[in-house]
Amino acid sequence: MFWHIIIFSICGIALGILIYRVVNIARLPVHLRWELAPVPHDKTREKYGGSYLEEQEWWKKPVRKSIIQPLKYMAAEIIFLRGVWKNNRSLWPFSLCLHSGIYLMIGMLFLCLINALLIAIELPADITDIMAETISYMALISFLTGSVGAISLVFKRLIDHDLKPFSTAGSFFNLVLLAIVFVSGAVCWFYQGEFGDLLSLFLSKLITLEVIRVMPLTFILYVAISLLFFLYLPVSSMTHFMIKYFLYHAVRWNDKPLNARMESELRNLLAEKPHWSAAHTGTDGQKTWGEIGNGVRDEKQ
Amino acid sequence: MKSNELRFREVSENADSQLVKIEINHLIPLPSPYDKPQVSAWRELDTDQHRRLVCNLDGFIAAGLPVPQDAKEEQKYIDQFIIGLKKLLSRESNWTFLQPLLLSLDFCARCQTCSESCHIYLASGRNPLYRPSFRSEIFRRLVDRYARKGGALLFKIRGGAIDLNWTTISRLYELSYRCNLCRRCAQACPMGVDNALITRELRKLFSQELGWAPQELHEKGTQLQLKVGSPTGMKPKVVKDNLDFLDKDFSEVTGLNIATPWDKSGADVLLLPGAGDILSFPESIMAFSILCNAAGINWTLSSEAPGYDGVNYGLFYDDLQFIKIALQHARIAKKLGVKKIVMGECGHQHKAMMAVADRILTGELNIPRESSMTFLENLVFSGRIKFDPERNNFPVTLHDPCNIVRNLGIVEPQRRVLRYLCPQFREMNPHGVENYCCGGGGGLSLLSMANFTNWKVNISGRLKFKQILEAFSDQPEPSVKKYLCAPCLNCKLQFRDLLEYYGAKEKSGIYFGGLAELIVNAMVDLKNPFITWGEY
Repeated sequence: MFWHIIIFSICGIALGILIYRVVNIARLPVHLRWELAPVPHDKTREKYGGSYLEEQEWWKKPVRKSIIQPLKYMAAEIIFLRGVWKNNRSLWPFSLCLHSGIYLMIGMLFLCLINALLIAIELPADITDIMAETISYMALISFLTGSVGAISLVFKRLIDHDLKPFSTAGSFFNLVLLAIVFVSGAVCWFYQGEFGDLLSLFLSKLITLEVIRVMPLTFILYVAISLLFFLYLPVSSMTHFMIKYFLYHAVRWNDKPLNARMESELRNLLAEKPHWSAAHTGTDGQKTWGEIGNGVRDEKQ
Repeated sequence: MKSNELRFREVSENADSQLVKIEINHLIPLPSPYDKPQVSAWRELDTDQHRRLVCNLDGFIAAGLPVPQDAKEEQKYIDQFIIGLKKLLSRESNWTFLQPLLLSLDFCARCQTCSESCHIYLASGRNPLYRPSFRSEIFRRLVDRYARKGGALLFKIRGGAIDLNWTTISRLYELSYRCNLCRRCAQACPMGVDNALITRELRKLFSQELGWAPQELHEKGTQLQLKVGSPTGMKPKVVKDNLDFLDKDFSEVTGLNIATPWDKSGADVLLLPGAGDILSFPESIMAFSILCNAAGINWTLSSEAPGYDGVNYGLFYDDLQFIKIALQHARIAKKLGVKKIVMGECGHQHKAMMAVADRILTGELNIPRESSMTFLENLVFSGRIKFDPERNNFPVTLHDPCNIVRNLGIVEPQRRVLRYLCPQFREMNPHGVENYCCGGGGGLSLLSMANFTNWKVNISGRLKFKQILEAFSDQPEPSVKKYLCAPCLNCKLQFRDLLEYYGAKEKSGIYFGGLAELIVNAMVDLKNPFITWGEY
């Protein structure tokens, strides 16, 4: 039960930390509007990045929002790194390699879980074998592209004069750890063979709580390193994969005009008591934002 | 020092030396006849300025920080800076932008995609000081060290290497006024990190905690507006007298009977103009008057301070000043009982009232607000006024004010007007939401201390000037008069400086003005052209 305890504990801790971080960000107070065009959910103006504020007397008309357009925008951004392609092309191929490796690994793990379930319910070997082969090839591409991406980015950050001054110990640690995950996976793949079978079986025994017999060393190394990475992930800046939702939906694309629900929260926030030291602010920790904002003007006409 | 080798630790070192030197020959070249650098117009700071003011950044002064008296005063400001860092991360003192700030601080991938989109960084010849990420990274590391739990460790992991001393904070303060807050960097960032927001938060810390802000934005800006009604210094009686005079003057010139209505209770529209237009660009406010009267709009101005001046410089540097002014504008509109407020041709005013202030205008203060771009478009296509586009048959290009276009997504209404009324309308490249800033954004067009105008016209306005020239490149000769349509007061102030500096009227025949003037110029009822191609 050693592997079961370790893996479930690590997954539980990592997920717990991730949820904690996300909830903390979600619970931050509503902020003043700070949207930024293009806001892709506008149904009719998406092509040029226009918003409902173009509409004459927009407050009398329903705002028609698209669900598909923001998804298309984010898909292009996440899968093809559109922003980097457009504005930082020299970085794009390396970053695309790394991210492709990550996405393929996630896809591979997902397929593996499905295959593990199929093995557990004793589906015919024809199906699970095909799945395992697909998983193997996905894993190979993932390990190769991910390794190339991570290692090349380490070198790029070391020698590129634009990136070097900004590259911190944290940046290198993240990339090196990712490189180790991918390289260990590649080593296991080439050394062991039948990677898809190996991983599917392993996961199947995890799910059914069966005893996991001795695994090959290279596989153990890959699993151990991946688990360490998974434990580290939620405390690192690599959680941008979750946080991006907030940066886009809660800030950049948050062009919702004031409504009753928001107003109630804002009245509470306007009742907060700020405390800044500059004399002109008129704050002393006693007056509320609302009171300061409504202060009588010192007028002489 | 080579221009691409500025290390973070250098910000804290050599207090009395300039951190970087800007060489005019390093700037990106402009097309002919502006391709020879105007070295004679490149003003260095004089001895007196060096003596009185902190001049340790790049040879220019925007904010004008006085030299402190002694080490004790320096330490006081350093201590306040640290306290201010903590307040920026607190709900009660900074709920206004807490979530966007924390997200931008914590999730930067440091990939420099933002720098490649910054007009200031590019125009300077890629001077590392002007990277959007440079000042953000310094700020980020200081926040880690002094405002977070486990700060010392976090500081080391995330780069360290910055001492917090007088040199650091004085340079950061001045550096925070080397950004137009145009948010092109935020648009480019794959994460959504907003370096313009971080810059604004820096300015806010300095203003709200240390009491530091450029006098043009503060004492002569928001404070004057709160005291008398307008940063122009105009009190209500003076404004009314000025507009009365303009009404008579323009009535004579145009042959129309122009009368600006004041304080009409229950009007459909309260126009919120920039009072600076009254003094600097009176044809703008007059154009609105002519159009509204000709279209039979039930509209009014307010003579109650500050209702006749829609600017709100607090948007650039201070949340508390911002809120005070925004609430006053809304209260005036509520008192008049108008059905909607229409923003004048002023970019930051649009953003202030239509977006940023929206969530504090609760209850009865939530009066509908509309852009002048939409208002003018409706007016033009309503059929109430007859136009002849041939009256505008000269080259016209459009400058997209960042706060109207990139920040609010108001892109097409003004273009539909121009396509209809200007047969020779052409776009700049890029345009729309991807436009370049005029170089005066973020309040910088208002700052004119020492040699800062030099910086604005040579660096922050450089790419825009190049765009303008390229837009008119099919007819570059000065004998062909060309109109740069800039529907924003602060942009017009920047263009006045920019085009005057380069002699663009004499060398290229380039003039500038707003959208309303172009519309009036096409009116069939006008005896004489409204646009007179006069002095800037």
